[in-house]
Amino acid sequence: MLRRLIRPISPSARREERIFYLFILPWLIGLVVFNAGPILGILGLSFTDWRISFQGLNFVGLENYRTLFADETFWVSVGNTLYITVGRVVLGTIFALFLAILLNQKVPGIPFFRAVYYLPSVTAGVAVALVWIWIFNPQVGILNHSLRLLGIKGPTWIHSTVWVKPSLIIMSIFTVGPNMIILLAGLQGIPKELYEAAEIDGAGAWEKFANVTLPMLSPVLFFVIIISVAASFQNFTEIRVMTQGGPGESSNVLVWYLWENAFVYFQMGVASAVAWIIFLLLMGLTGIQFRLGRRWVFYEV
Amino acid sequence: MSREKLSRRAFLKLAAASGSGVALAGLGPLSSIASAQDSVELTFGRHWEAAFRPRQAEYDEGFMERHPNISINITYNTWADHNNVVPAWAAAGTLPDIIYVHGSRVVPWAHEGIIIDIHDIVTPDEEFDVDNMWEESLRLYRINGRLHALPYDHGPLILGYNVDMFDAAGMDYPNEEWTMDDLREAAIALSKPDEFQWGWSGELDLGNGGSDFFLGAWGGRKMSDDETEMILDSPESREALNFWYSLIHEENAGPSATEAEGFGDNPWQNGRCGMAVVPTWETPSLRAFASFNWDVAPTPMGADGTRRTGAFGSGYGITPTSGQPDVAWTYLREYLSNEGMIFMWSLSGRGSPARPEALEVWFTSDPAPPSAHYYRDAMFDYAVTGRPYETIAGAQVSDVLSREAELLRLGETTVDGAIAAIMEEGQAALDSVAEDM
Repeated sequence: MLRRLIRPISPSARREERIFYLFILPWLIGLVVFNAGPILGILGLSFTDWRISFQGLNFVGLENYRTLFADETFWVSVGNTLYITVGRVVLGTIFALFLAILLNQKVPGIPFFRAVYYLPSVTAGVAVALVWIWIFNPQVGILNHSLRLLGIKGPTWIHSTVWVKPSLIIMSIFTVGPNMIILLAGLQGIPKELYEAAEIDGAGAWEKFANVTLPMLSPVLFFVIIISVAASFQNFTEIRVMTQGGPGESSNVLVWYLWENAFVYFQMGVASAVAWIIFLLLMGLTGIQFRLGRRWVFYEV
Repeated sequence: MSREKLSRRAFLKLAAASGSGVALAGLGPLSSIASAQDSVELTFGRHWEAAFRPRQAEYDEGFMERHPNISINITYNTWADHNNVVPAWAAAGTLPDIIYVHGSRVVPWAHEGIIIDIHDIVTPDEEFDVDNMWEESLRLYRINGRLHALPYDHGPLILGYNVDMFDAAGMDYPNEEWTMDDLREAAIALSKPDEFQWGWSGELDLGNGGSDFFLGAWGGRKMSDDETEMILDSPESREALNFWYSLIHEENAGPSATEAEGFGDNPWQNGRCGMAVVPTWETPSLRAFASFNWDVAPTPMGADGTRRTGAFGSGYGITPTSGQPDVAWTYLREYLSNEGMIFMWSLSGRGSPARPEALEVWFTSDPAPPSAHYYRDAMFDYAVTGRPYETIAGAQVSDVLSREAELLRLGETTVDGAIAAIMEEGQAALDSVAEDM
């Protein structure tokens, strides 16, 4: 019975399997040494009172986690992270999809526009952040200047506790290049026959988008959302360069909170605990997305 | 800046000129410590901006000429990153031999084992005159009476003013008799917000040094002298902060944070403000970038004649992983000597050397303002080293202070709200380290 269930493997298939493992070996070694190893190492350190030196390292159990949960700033940073993540992922994905659809049109000059929209993504993060500091400048920034031309008094953007998070979200929208490219590839992979069939059935532009494009693109959208959430949680450069977690604590996100604990307060054990909480939060959110994905992600068989 | 490296001859000339050269003429026993060894490399973690690095290179060339067996290898960090890079080096076990240490980091870094106790290296060296350094500067580097680093610069924060703006308004310059009320009157008189001109720079610095400029005139303080208690909620401190708050938010005598942004966050240097707090270390950039005539005056007194301001500075420490502290000291004893400071910080115009004699030489340099002697007077008479610097919770306390100062500047909190937050969170930070102190 068992013999009938296990398919016999031919020598050539075995050789192919060995070559497969050989090719992924460098990546596997990298994953274990540079990712899994440190992740587990940090888990261990999160149960210690590690500061800078490893000398005098003591096991403190869950003390670091208790410290975090009792710290108001930690919860502020969790809230800020979720706020910015939701904004970035929702608006960023919509904008990336909008751009991908635009750039999927057969009009002259499309390669130029694709390059233009991708450009911010290949520019150094610090340079982009510095440019945005000036764009958000309340007095002489181009954003408020444009609003003034429309008779609107612009807010103080990154200098306001209310507007700093929306500012960071707005800024992130202009770095959707990679997601745009992924979605563009997804759009180009949708068979034209499906649109032709829909047209024969009398579908208009919206019906074609809602009933053909979105379902066919859903696996790609799902992937884009997963990686966007992870990227948003890990975003550090903009906070470091533009706001340093302020004004007040209004842009203090988890990675900034982690960094301050590690390299300003030297509470490496606490910082390790924060790193693990970020990891668990991301795993949890990804799990939720996979569960929700079953309802809306359509895989072509 | 002249291209003149500090060769052995030049070094000795400087030493002789300053009157302390005789003892240094042979470069003493420590020169023999270095020369007795094989070729060694000294590594450094510094933060000089690009414009000042040639001066450092000139000094180091001279040093290597005097000590041919010692080579120098410097890693430059940015000012913004240095305090975070060093702990990362420490965690990775890759600290250089000598590191720049901001005065606020001495205690936490010593506590973390990033710098070593150098008391027994420094004090037996009879040729190195520790007593000739500002006593206020040494406060930062002594832990339980023992030196853990040495200052290279230390300076006070006094009143700077835009001479051209005062002249245009036909007003008298700030002087030794000025009180905070005079500052207020002048600031209001000079302000023309519609023309982007303000009498006061608007800054509120509650950090090391800066806070004493305002608080001091009312006799207010942030922390107790043993740095175990936040005491910013005194009536004196509250009055001082209310004075600043009304100057900015009610009298419009200083730019708001958003207005300041329009001038690269430095409307004072851009000539838009009549007065500002000007520490010694800012004078070279003012000389380089300000397109107006400016000078300095004593920090204004309070109504009862009290005059106080903050002072602060930075130094150098030796790391535990160095393995060659004697060679590191060979460098530091010359670098931080009167002659070394004159070359690096006085003649270069950098300002705020940690030795009074070197400060006198700075007065003659181009970047020093006409009334630079008021800096010396402040150091001798009324400047105090700004807290926190004795607690290992200094970074946490400073974070709370700067956060609330920023919110006050933005008008997003009140003086009472800021004081309440600082008292609560600052005290919690101090309490959390009480057992470790």
